[in-house]
Amino acid sequence: MRSVAEPATTELPARTVPGPRGPAARAPAARRLSSRGVLGTASAVLLLVFWALGRRLGYGLSEYLQLLVDGTVTGSVYALVAVGFVVVYRVTGVINFAQGAFVMLGPMLAITFFRTLGGSGGLALAAAAAAAVLATALVATAVHRLTLHPARAASALTRIIITVGVYIALQGLALRVWGPRPYVMPAFSTLHMADRFLEVGGVTLQAQSLWVWGVGLLTVGGLVVFFEHTLVGKAMRACAVNRTAARLMGIQVDRMATLAFALAGVLGAVGGIVLAPSTRPTYDMGLDLGLKGFVAAIAGGLVSLPGAVAGGLVLGVLESLWAGVTVAGFKDLFAFVMLILLLLSRPQGWLEGGHE
Amino acid sequence: MNSKVCARTRWAALWAGVALVLAGTLVFPLLAAPARVGTPYRIGFIASVTGPGSSLGTPERDVARLVQDRLNREGGIAGPDGVRHEVQILINDDQSRADVAASLARRLIEQDQVHVLVGTTLSGPSLAIVPIATELRTPNISMASARAIIEDPATKRMRTWIFKPVPENLHSAAKQAEYLKAVRIDRVCHLYENTAYGQDTFASAKQEFPKAGIRILYGDSFDRFATEFPQVTRVRASGCQAVVIGSIPPAAAVITVAVAGRVGPRKIVHGHGACSPDLIRTAGQAAEGTVMPCGKILVADQLPANDPVRRVNLELIAEYARVSGGQPISTFAGHAYDALQWALLGLRAVPDGQPLARIRELARDGIERIRNYVGTHGVMNLSPEDHLGFDPKDFVIVTVQGGRFVLLPPDRWK
Amino acid sequence: MTARAWARTWFLAAAAVAGVGVVELAWPGTVARLTRSLVSTDLLIRAGLFTVVLVGLNLLMGYAGQASLGQAAFYGLGAFASAIFTVRAQALGIPASVAGAWWWPWLVMLLAAVAVGAFALAVGWVILRLRGHYLAMATLGLGIIVYIVLRENLGMPHLNLTGGFDGIVGVPRLRVGGAELWPVQVYYFVVWAAALASMALGLNVVHSPAGRALRALHGSELAAESVGVDVGRLKAQIFALSAALASVAGSLYAHFQAAVVPDTFGFVPSLELVVMSAVGGMSSIWGAPLGALAVLLLEQLLRTHVLGLVPAVSGELEPVVFGLMLVVIMMFWPAGLVSSRRVQGAGWASR
Repeated sequence: MRSVAEPATTELPARTVPGPRGPAARAPAARRLSSRGVLGTASAVLLLVFWALGRRLGYGLSEYLQLLVDGTVTGSVYALVAVGFVVVYRVTGVINFAQGAFVMLGPMLAITFFRTLGGSGGLALAAAAAAAVLATALVATAVHRLTLHPARAASALTRIIITVGVYIALQGLALRVWGPRPYVMPAFSTLHMADRFLEVGGVTLQAQSLWVWGVGLLTVGGLVVFFEHTLVGKAMRACAVNRTAARLMGIQVDRMATLAFALAGVLGAVGGIVLAPSTRPTYDMGLDLGLKGFVAAIAGGLVSLPGAVAGGLVLGVLESLWAGVTVAGFKDLFAFVMLILLLLSRPQGWLEGGHE
Repeated sequence: MNSKVCARTRWAALWAGVALVLAGTLVFPLLAAPARVGTPYRIGFIASVTGPGSSLGTPERDVARLVQDRLNREGGIAGPDGVRHEVQILINDDQSRADVAASLARRLIEQDQVHVLVGTTLSGPSLAIVPIATELRTPNISMASARAIIEDPATKRMRTWIFKPVPENLHSAAKQAEYLKAVRIDRVCHLYENTAYGQDTFASAKQEFPKAGIRILYGDSFDRFATEFPQVTRVRASGCQAVVIGSIPPAAAVITVAVAGRVGPRKIVHGHGACSPDLIRTAGQAAEGTVMPCGKILVADQLPANDPVRRVNLELIAEYARVSGGQPISTFAGHAYDALQWALLGLRAVPDGQPLARIRELARDGIERIRNYVGTHGVMNLSPEDHLGFDPKDFVIVTVQGGRFVLLPPDRWK
Repeated sequence: MTARAWARTWFLAAAAVAGVGVVELAWPGTVARLTRSLVSTDLLIRAGLFTVVLVGLNLLMGYAGQASLGQAAFYGLGAFASAIFTVRAQALGIPASVAGAWWWPWLVMLLAAVAVGAFALAVGWVILRLRGHYLAMATLGLGIIVYIVLRENLGMPHLNLTGGFDGIVGVPRLRVGGAELWPVQVYYFVVWAAALASMALGLNVVHSPAGRALRALHGSELAAESVGVDVGRLKAQIFALSAALASVAGSLYAHFQAAVVPDTFGFVPSLELVVMSAVGGMSSIWGAPLGALAVLLLEQLLRTHVLGLVPAVSGELEPVVFGLMLVVIMMFWPAGLVSSRRVQGAGWASR
């Protein structure tokens, strides 16, 4: 619990802007004081409601465990999508609303490629998936070079709207190419529509869940290695920290921006592909997943990779827990309320605009 | 002299020629005239070709094209006086949105001056069209299922200008109850997707099942994008003998897989929204043995030869395969076909030479007087008290066997 | 623009709007005929409704620099309030003599605007301390929460107040005395009177000391605070104003459409409002009507004209062309069609 009497100024970075004195200064602190109380009470009330609903259904530890585990599966996919948002945002300052389209393109392309490769066999599936990821990365690259790169001098909001336009166009194209019907991707373990179910310590799992976790871990691990230990990755991080300085160091910032988009395409496609066997990919699946990923990215701070992963997992778990105790329609409501409470309880040290 | 005679002859020839031509232009049409051609009719057609309703709206749009092609081939329709009228179907997409549907309806009626409005796919947008069609006195035939479209919920009376050939969840639930009672199941669980359709299936089940002595031990909704289903554990724990599912593909497929995989041998009963080849395609093995009440169009080739509905459906299925590029038929295509046929029947009742407003009135009257219409879902009879005209006995129980829909007549229910 | 300049422009705009309205009233369908079915009274009314919402949104996003990805929720609250208190008045225990009176829907509209404004004020007090993207997410969450509550019948399906997924049908037309403000050619005046009034309000705010305070706020909250601007209060007030405006627009919409459906007020509609704001130019009050008209016209153009050329692929390609056009518009008019020089770097996400 942080000290309540902190005035506004001490949380600011070391700038010599004179802080407000007088009534305006006291009011924010006082409001923060009471709002913290409000937040605390609201959180407590929600937790109580959750526990009461769970008790009414006779939930014990194993049921909550099941919900938790289920939540980490969808949460892992949200995390992958969220990381895609963060990578683009850090390097370009744009919130890429087309990310959802990448999540949709991955599985749809993979299914099409899989069919042309004969439609059976683990090798064909793996090849199709790899090709789909590559193709999505190419689409993402094209999106950046054709639309965002020429508009790089425009405000961030303008560029965000451009990504909205791109999403609409890509989804429309998907409808034209694949129609409105749902498609099927075979489960990775059985290479068949029906997946294997596993029982581990009272918790039932689809085998595909293991794939989701595994691929998620590998991808995030790979990203960490990329950013920490490769020259290109470090160059991208430099762009994220300070573009001008990066440019002065000889880093081609615009190329890094395109690479960031390609990376986002890869991440989105991978997330979509690994989830696809559990759902039935359709041309409009990107909207919901993109939105959840966006929410997760922001909840995690929008600037940090671990934040995005945490945000995704937290959102997935919250959704699953609430879906378990209340009516399906309200699970999003409770998940959002808790997320907002989480946001509000963050330290006030975020800069204007929320970026570094 | 010679020139004077020639000139006079030439004049005579000229006048004779003119007289002949004039006579010809007057007489010829009378000789060669076919039946009189009347005012061209326009049908406004709105479907949700894009947006969340697109899996329903696309087949409907394809059927509209099919019907237009047929009309073009046959030269339109003939009125009661024998006058032929060309018919144009103006196809529009409401993007699954109520606002767009309302704008389109107003535009079609006021600017394009359509005589009948057919639309739309989903209940929400259809409800938005209702006030407009009523205000502008144009008959509207919806392809959505909500009761409130044709019946004013406050007065419980039929809306004068609105019709729909689409059966409701109440009929579906009643058929499910009939089946469950016959196979001696009286304790069920009900899972439904959290959409307008799903919620309505649950409300209908709660209304109809008790009448057959069936108890819903556990009822819950699920998110249609979900991949994990905590509801399934509660189904297991409840001890119900069958699981009733109110959902459409792909959500219907995903939950069927979850239930079939985790709940052990239990009967799975779907609603009529699952009567789609997409269910079999996306649920695979898990769909085998599931049953659902469906419109006859789905199993047309298995209907007895004396069923009039069989011929209508087989013809439609063949033509549909051509127009849609090989897609198998769905019940939504059937609804669109019936709706358009009703519009044409209404227009057939209008004598030629009427002003626009009168054509709309007479068409409306014509639709309301439809009797013994052999449609894709059954034989339908409309009246001022019934703008649906569907006989619940026309629902058939269908099961999935060997990857196909198979008709299950009552003597084979088990 | 100086005060006199904007007043003059406003009067010109009002005259043009009135002129079109009178022509349509006398000879209905003229505008549609002249523009070959592109513009209709229906489209103009919808543009007017969005203008009311966008004035509020532009003040919030363009001037005060506060994100809002949930504005459609306030629109929806106004629409449902008007629908519920007229259609479901009986269930709520309101006597028929009151519910049937001509002034009742107007009173509901007013009270709903006040209530929604108060609600926004209260919520804003709490969430407007968030910055930039956090605020965007909080407003997004708020919008979705309101949408879910409306869609789920307020959690009380037996009362059936909001009609669940299918919403409410049968909202009555607005009347003055005994006269119905209908058909659409008459309602056009009602809606555009509201739109012009909201524009005047917005222009007034922008050219007032409060407007300057807003711009200072947008430039730097810190600096604004240091010169004595009560930042928190101002932000909450603008948020409340924008919510109230959206509520009024929603009520007018309910009486226009006569049927309100929850799907009209979800996340995607909120996003579309932001798009309209950006296309029109969010740092200008004039951007409101322009953005609304531009987007609606583009959609209509695609529907009736362009795709008629290629009937075989009609329908599915509409979104593709729309998306591409949006991209093109933002690439060539990055600050929107009407960009004000007074407020640089439009929007909450400016870098």
